Amino acid sequence: MSIDVKMAWRNLWRNPRRSILTIAAIAFASLLLVFMLSWQFGSYETMIDSSVRIHTGHLQVQAEGYQDKKSMRLVVSDPAAVGNVLDKNPEVAAYTYRANAFSLVSSKERTYGVIVVGIDPDREAKVSTLKKLIRQGSYLSENETDQALVGELLARNLQIGVGDELVVLGQGRDGSIAATVVTVRGIYRSGMDEFDRSSIQIPLAYFQDVYNMRGAVHEVVVLGKSLKYVPEIKKTVAADIKGIKNKEALVDLDWMELMPGLIEAIKMDLYSGFIFYIILIIVVAFSILNTFLMTIFERTKEFGVLMAIGTTPGRLCKLLMIESTIMTIAGIIAGIILGSLVTWYFQVHGIFISGTSELMRQFGLPERIYPQLSLLSASIGPAAVLVITFLTALYPALKVWRFRPVEAMAGK
Amino acid sequence: MKIFHKTKRIAIFSFLVLFSLGATADIHAQDAAALVDASYDYMRGKTSVSTVVMTIHRPDWERVMTIKGWTQGMEDSIFWITDPPRDKGNGTLKKGREMWTYNPKVNRIIKIPPSMMSQAWMGSDFSNNDLSKAESLIVDYTHTIIGTETHEGKKVYVIKSMPKPEAPVVWGMQKLKIREDYIFLEQGFYDEDLKPVKIMTTLQLRMLGGRLFPGVWKMQKADVENEYTVLEYQDLAFDTKLPDRLFTLSSLKTPIR
Repeated sequence: MSIDVKMAWRNLWRNPRRSILTIAAIAFASLLLVFMLSWQFGSYETMIDSSVRIHTGHLQVQAEGYQDKKSMRLVVSDPAAVGNVLDKNPEVAAYTYRANAFSLVSSKERTYGVIVVGIDPDREAKVSTLKKLIRQGSYLSENETDQALVGELLARNLQIGVGDELVVLGQGRDGSIAATVVTVRGIYRSGMDEFDRSSIQIPLAYFQDVYNMRGAVHEVVVLGKSLKYVPEIKKTVAADIKGIKNKEALVDLDWMELMPGLIEAIKMDLYSGFIFYIILIIVVAFSILNTFLMTIFERTKEFGVLMAIGTTPGRLCKLLMIESTIMTIAGIIAGIILGSLVTWYFQVHGIFISGTSELMRQFGLPERIYPQLSLLSASIGPAAVLVITFLTALYPALKVWRFRPVEAMAGK
Repeated sequence: MKIFHKTKRIAIFSFLVLFSLGATADIHAQDAAALVDASYDYMRGKTSVSTVVMTIHRPDWERVMTIKGWTQGMEDSIFWITDPPRDKGNGTLKKGREMWTYNPKVNRIIKIPPSMMSQAWMGSDFSNNDLSKAESLIVDYTHTIIGTETHEGKKVYVIKSMPKPEAPVVWGMQKLKIREDYIFLEQGFYDEDLKPVKIMTTLQLRMLGGRLFPGVWKMQKADVENEYTVLEYQDLAFDTKLPDRLFTLSSLKTPIR
């Protein structure tokens, strides 16, 4: 250990309370940043995951233009061919077919305009959480025809329960009038109000018959093995579906294209988070600045003596920087360790939030959130603290250059 | 409701402009309103019975339907699809501002909810509102003659129709062209920013139901080429005596052939 480091170390313990308080401030800031960032990343993953699982899937194959226009005639006419492509892809966990039609749905009392969705009951259960969301009645089983699943809010609006009849009136793929009577089989609640209010699900085969689809569907919904495989699946599937003949070219859209609102909400949350972090770091920076300035004022005489016996200002500056670096590093290490422990505890147990905000609920964020500790979330905050404290400590350390030995010894 | 608010403002503004123009404008306004009234009477008669072929045209697709319809004054109308066979018997009843639709396959009547009134009727470029609120033009708008043209040697009045304050309408403005013999030549629908949304034109004037009448009505969306709906009259009779029970829900279920 060089003499400088030894001196810095001893200097720190000349006023242990101040040093420890400074270290604690840095540690606390680091802890908070580790936890908050892990929390944010964790909630985004939960948010994306639950939105994806409720409805859109990670990816969808559609006819070009369908996403914007939702026109009945923009179909995937050979869904099985798309299925073959997906079967060959090892990163695809499951996929299902869906067809949608805007229709009037009428109970005895009321009529609403909703999206009627044709679903393949077995495949759907592997891709979306719909089956688990059933609160009353039961899920659709294979070979069923005129049965429907209805969202809880829509059921309330229509004033219907399980076993009641609904009249469905819409337009088929060929423009002809599509009409049928279905019996409510089950009522589901996803927590996403928009979804629970605006759609009913009927078996796909029956849908294709009623709406004269001639075997076509509107969406092939794909679930990847995990979120991180999505870009890769998108790339390979995009190349593979080029060979499938369809009237309009087939496109595959990932969840960001399917739910542009979700990525916007995440960005907004991230930005407001950053503002908070910047304020936090500035507060820490000021407390460190304060400590270091105090040190210099207190030790002016000491520095004067040191300079008088031949210590260069550069060496004094170095000494002060070593002192601040020791404190910062001690604080950051403590912060990372404590922050990781706290985060890890909640990562295992989850955090219960009773009043999830409206914005979050739109995307089906559950009431229990699990922070996600990662190398990134554990290091990015403390790294910012390190840089800021280093820069802050520079200012008082450089002040030493302006000292004149005689004046300093006189305490001026 | 934002839309109402905006239209209201526009309406108030146009009202003020009308006012400041003074007596001459007032007379014009009355003239215009009387002209629209007279034209409506001429085009609809006391009652009418008609058979119309409706063609919905899209760039890659076309659909043809035959519709038989009865109207009484401006309040009541009822129509059924008679062709193609797959859709035969589907009917729509309109009384005042309310509409019902009937489907024979499920044998049910559905009342069209207010939220659906601006949706397309049977997938065409006509909305439910265009059918159910036909009289809205007379009740909810103030009319001003803004110019004249000639058509087949006859004078045509160009009329600007602005919604009255508080009127429950979706359009920011309508522009009409009415010939001096009361034939309706054009109706343009504009949004709150006064941009055209769709335009209906009438073509092929000929003798129908004992009067000169446009044989073809075309509704064209303003922003897309090649997307329109055409109504072509096959048969038309005016002022026949219609049974009272025709415009009821029970008659909607049992089409008159």
